[in-house]
Amino acid sequence: MSEEQERPAWSEQFLPEAIRRLNLSDALSALTPEVAWGGSTGRGVRVAVVDTGVEADHPVFEGRVSGGVVIELNDQVEDGFVAIPDNPPRDVAGHGTACAGIIHRLAPEADLFSVRVLGDNMRGRALTFAAGIEWAIGQGFQVVNMSLSTSSADLQKLFYELADEAYFKNVCLVCAVNNIPAPSYPSTFASVISVAAHHSRDPWTYYYNPSPPVEFGAAGIDIEVAWINKQYATNTGNSFAAPHIAGIVALIRAKHPQLTPFQVKTMLMACAKNVQAL
Amino acid sequence: MTPAAADANAPEEPLAQQLQALIRAIELGGKAILPTSNDELLQSIVNAAARIFGAGAAGILLVDESDGTLVFRVEFGNKQPDLVGRRVPLNKGIAGYVAMTGQAIAVSNVQQDARFNADFAKSTGYVPNSILAAPLLLGERVIGVLEVLDKIAANSFGMHDMELMGLFAHQAALAIRESQQLEQIDSAIRQGLRRIAAAEGLPDSSALVAMLADTHDEATGPDDLLPLAAAFNDISRLGPAERRAAVKILAALAEVGRSRARPRSRYA
Repeated sequence: MSEEQERPAWSEQFLPEAIRRLNLSDALSALTPEVAWGGSTGRGVRVAVVDTGVEADHPVFEGRVSGGVVIELNDQVEDGFVAIPDNPPRDVAGHGTACAGIIHRLAPEADLFSVRVLGDNMRGRALTFAAGIEWAIGQGFQVVNMSLSTSSADLQKLFYELADEAYFKNVCLVCAVNNIPAPSYPSTFASVISVAAHHSRDPWTYYYNPSPPVEFGAAGIDIEVAWINKQYATNTGNSFAAPHIAGIVALIRAKHPQLTPFQVKTMLMACAKNVQAL
Repeated sequence: MTPAAADANAPEEPLAQQLQALIRAIELGGKAILPTSNDELLQSIVNAAARIFGAGAAGILLVDESDGTLVFRVEFGNKQPDLVGRRVPLNKGIAGYVAMTGQAIAVSNVQQDARFNADFAKSTGYVPNSILAAPLLLGERVIGVLEVLDKIAANSFGMHDMELMGLFAHQAALAIRESQQLEQIDSAIRQGLRRIAAAEGLPDSSALVAMLADTHDEATGPDDLLPLAAAFNDISRLGPAERRAAVKILAALAEVGRSRARPRSRYA
């Protein structure tokens, strides 16, 4: 058995030999990367990074991180959680800084906002994550990057409701699938843009996969990223594929602000490297 | 030696002596087939992980939910003194991230930004060249983090390592759970048998049941699990149709339980 054949989990859909060449319908043949995001810098688009925080004063951001909150569960308030201002935002692990840095690399003028959901205890971790998504939807961010997921079956309904809420409020949720072979919410929902890693290092190369559970493959292996304490690191994981797509979505939304999430997804599909006009 | 064998070979032996022999047999048997402790199992897992992933060092941190920390339980190949027993907050660092999100991550080649000159980076002590960390998951519950450090033959751990690590960590988590459950069962059986052995005369069966129930109080777990287990045992002796019906009833009850407890907010 070759190394590639042994490979489990979701990234197998984006192995070079597994990527399917797809033909684009005539009706969409006008959609090219140039049409979709050519000339766009992401200016005017607000992107929430739901993660471990963002080190806002890291030189890589050039001042594009506009603020942050820490989400905490709180049963004394009606919503069940509070968003505590975190200014300037800080990152407790490095992961959120890495993801935000990737988005900034692709969409250098998009406004980045840190939504820290790494709580203080295990019990509330998935709920805190859900509350962070709910908060970001309520704030009307055009793009929400979630390089997190949960496999908690009990919370499937809650995440499903949030995914629908985002969809109807014109918020694009971009979600990494888990690196281990288990269902991960909300990445499995149809209204969410789900992302796994592929082998290319090119930040602009991404693929579309018409078969569930994961729809898009973007660079996520040995990616140069910003890291906490004004450092840089080389990271691998589906976590780092999602912000590549989030960056491109930010570019599309800046150039075509009237598009809805499903139209954005259609545009993403049409411009994927493995999808070609006849 | 099984209880039946003990009875057959020494029918005249006082019950207390038989039970003492049985306790010794259980202890010896346990040592023969199981690691002598959970730590030994954990150690064998990190040793294996280091070999499999070609890592210079490896470690297991287990979640302590009482104080929201990860505790270093075992390590292999690390140069740091006193690492075992050290506590890491769940809301900090790579291991904390992995525990809180259940997401594996590989990080390598951490370097300072040339535009930033800070002393604290030097004070962080040992910084591995590469790290691969994966959650130890039981269903959705993270019980700890398995990490391997410093890939020997490459600059970083790759996607292939990460995916194999996910599978390996899952097996490790199952093994840890089995080991913990066996330790609990072993401890409960021994306590029960010791009490019987120490009792005066030959207890009748009702006294035995009472003592075992009493012993259960000292073991972990809710009190009502024993009658539940007894009911399962009775059901398992019925026919397949009855067993299927019982499963349906229990599944419906579990569903009712899940749907009944509607919190005031989504997050209560």
